[in-house]
Amino acid sequence: MPGLLRTIAAASALLAAAAFAADFPSKPVKLIVTAGAGGGEDVEARAIAPFVEKHLRTQVTIENQPGAGGKIAFEKFQKAEPDGHTLITYTFPKSVIIEYQGKAGFRTRDFTPVFAWSRSSQLLVVNGETWKTFKEFLEAAKTKTLAGGLSGRGSTTHLMGLIALDELGVKVNWVPYEGSAGSVAALAGKHLDFTICLATSAVPLIQAGKLRPLLLFSDKRDPSLADVPIPKDLGYDMSFIPTLRGVEAPPGTPAAVVKVLEDAFSKAAQEPGFIEIAKKRKIILQPVGSKEFAALVEGVYPRIAKFEPMLKN
Amino acid sequence: MDVIAGAIAFVFQWQNLLALAGGTVYGIIIGVLPGLGPSAGMALALPLVMSWHPATALIFMGSLYKCSNYGGSLSAILVNTPGDASNAATVLDGYPMCQQGKGGVALGLSATSAMVGGTIGMICLVFAAPFLAEFALRFGPAEYFMTAVLALSLIAAVVQGATIKGLMAAGLGLLLSTVGFDVITGHLRYTFGWAPLEDGIPLIQALVGLFAVTQALVLAESAKSISRLAKLAGGFWEGFRSYFRHPAAVARASLIGLLVGVLPAVGQSSAGLLAWADAKRHSKHPESFGAGAPEGVLASETATNACMPGDLVCTIALGLPGSVGAAIFLGVMIIFGVAPGPLVFVQNAEVIYSLFVALFLTSFLIFAVGMMAARRLAVVTLLPNHVIVPAILVVSLLGSFAIRNEMSDVLISLAFGALGYVMLKGGFTPIPLLLGLVLGEMVETNYHRALLISGGSYSVFYSSIICKILILLTVLSLAGPYLGPYWKTLTQGEK
Repeated sequence: MPGLLRTIAAASALLAAAAFAADFPSKPVKLIVTAGAGGGEDVEARAIAPFVEKHLRTQVTIENQPGAGGKIAFEKFQKAEPDGHTLITYTFPKSVIIEYQGKAGFRTRDFTPVFAWSRSSQLLVVNGETWKTFKEFLEAAKTKTLAGGLSGRGSTTHLMGLIALDELGVKVNWVPYEGSAGSVAALAGKHLDFTICLATSAVPLIQAGKLRPLLLFSDKRDPSLADVPIPKDLGYDMSFIPTLRGVEAPPGTPAAVVKVLEDAFSKAAQEPGFIEIAKKRKIILQPVGSKEFAALVEGVYPRIAKFEPMLKN
Repeated sequence: MDVIAGAIAFVFQWQNLLALAGGTVYGIIIGVLPGLGPSAGMALALPLVMSWHPATALIFMGSLYKCSNYGGSLSAILVNTPGDASNAATVLDGYPMCQQGKGGVALGLSATSAMVGGTIGMICLVFAAPFLAEFALRFGPAEYFMTAVLALSLIAAVVQGATIKGLMAAGLGLLLSTVGFDVITGHLRYTFGWAPLEDGIPLIQALVGLFAVTQALVLAESAKSISRLAKLAGGFWEGFRSYFRHPAAVARASLIGLLVGVLPAVGQSSAGLLAWADAKRHSKHPESFGAGAPEGVLASETATNACMPGDLVCTIALGLPGSVGAAIFLGVMIIFGVAPGPLVFVQNAEVIYSLFVALFLTSFLIFAVGMMAARRLAVVTLLPNHVIVPAILVVSLLGSFAIRNEMSDVLISLAFGALGYVMLKGGFTPIPLLLGLVLGEMVETNYHRALLISGGSYSVFYSSIICKILILLTVLSLAGPYLGPYWKTLTQGEK
């Protein structure tokens, strides 16, 4: 009897899903940005939205909910109607870090991943008047405690710094800033010994020779910084946490709706107009489908859990 | 020089002049509304300008960014609602001037401030940007900490006359600045588990409460209008003329605004407040400040308008934005293929100098717009209270909501409105509170950062030459009122 019930339930769920997909989208889709208007996350969302509109054949409206670093938005999103008309975009794994930093009323692993279009990598930069190679830097770091800038406590740069430090056995005085501009400026003024930041925030000063990139935390070289080595080149075996920008649907969104959304976003990410904007902003495009995205989300939890005490204080 | 001549010719093409005028007017409108600042304005306008010529698009965005600040002064003066956090100090004297029927004069002052302050700022940006950017880089956490301490010493000048109440308000401001996520240690402080407070007390929402909501409550007490005279005394040109009677105040305010703008880690919102406090300290009649002193409007608006070009110094010369607005403008520049940084003056000289020429021109355009609109806008202060009060409340609370799309922010504004009302009735001024709120985080985080870098050694606070100068200035600032008369006796030999 319970078996039969389950079959009926499953069948009706399937039917419902099919019905959902048939009339999806039936109204404009709301895309929540977990940061203020004009920031990196917002600009990428606004850049891709018109192309998604074209393939989804409905309007995509953007709503900025930057409160508490996105935490409020994530908590509301956990309870949002899972019909595909409410989506969220952010820099993964921001939400997982928020979960580990304190009480949070949401779980990223409950969300339904749809599609991610870009990835970014962190860069280790020093002042142009100091160390020339990563090897020299590492030797210095082992003899005295260096001061390293971060774009924020609990940011993805913080996580990468902790991972690198963990693998190299180096002790660092971490100095958190609010955003990368502050930590990069302090490095250019030689108040810090090094900074970990997204490649894009340091490029102008690197090109002018004021700062020197020593290592790109990635398994592939960045075409815009082609001569910066990656750990593999120097013989280190480091593991990275992927930093992705993509879109997710609320928990329990039917697979058929996710399929429609995934198709629309993946086609939008291939539009020449979007690719051109990405190129100018030095965004590295890399499509990640819903299944792969879900696997990445699961895989990130245990690795961030390892640094939980350090993220908190 | 050829580049500049080329840039001037380029800006005077009709489509660029149109973009300039469009950006100016759009910026002013965006600025008037409290929740819509230059950041949201630029983000909203981006799809519109995507297909334009890069330089034309940047001229539009640049003038929008520069002019929103002037728009904010209009609502600050006329209805006691700062359009942006940077206009907070304009409220203090601008609104009392309106109550005395001198709204037109105050508008004349703010338009002249936009023109003069903006021009002074632009001159420094054009001719000294690389030098100023180099100077800004010499400021590390220890230097920022000492700068903030120097700024806090101005509280002593502000509270003159009502010292105890002033210090209480300043203490409350400093206490409120600790609310939220501690960026250094990662702890949540005084949020009581309420997520909307995790980013700290949101400044614009608090200002909307302290000024707009409080004033709506006060206005609701009587059935008259904002202008107690029920007519307008003095006009725009009187404001224009009185502006040039205070050249020393203009120079000091411009300098403060420029410095606040150039130093990336000093909050933009503090420029007007610091200039106001400084003007009060140097004034021969400090008691008139806060009760409709024209110098108050002059100092606050000149500083905020000089601050914006200062803010662009590091943004353009180093690629490091000093404020949220500048960060967005930086993003816009990158989208249009102009990568700011030390090389931008070589690689994109035409675009950058066209932008500079355009920003020069907007200063004068603001003045023209202000001149045409002042008379009409000042009529707002004659509207009966039962019309203006609901309008102020609706627009300002809507603005408060729109910043983060959070209903809780409306509650925060209402709470600050209640606080402001109680403070007003108790004879407290909101300025020390605002200075504490704006500077508190700068003091604390930079103190913490400096000690993290030095490994706990306090010598970091006095080892650099900049730190030593800042310490000296702070001592002089605090001891000045006592040393001044002594100095006079010594030199003039009187008494």
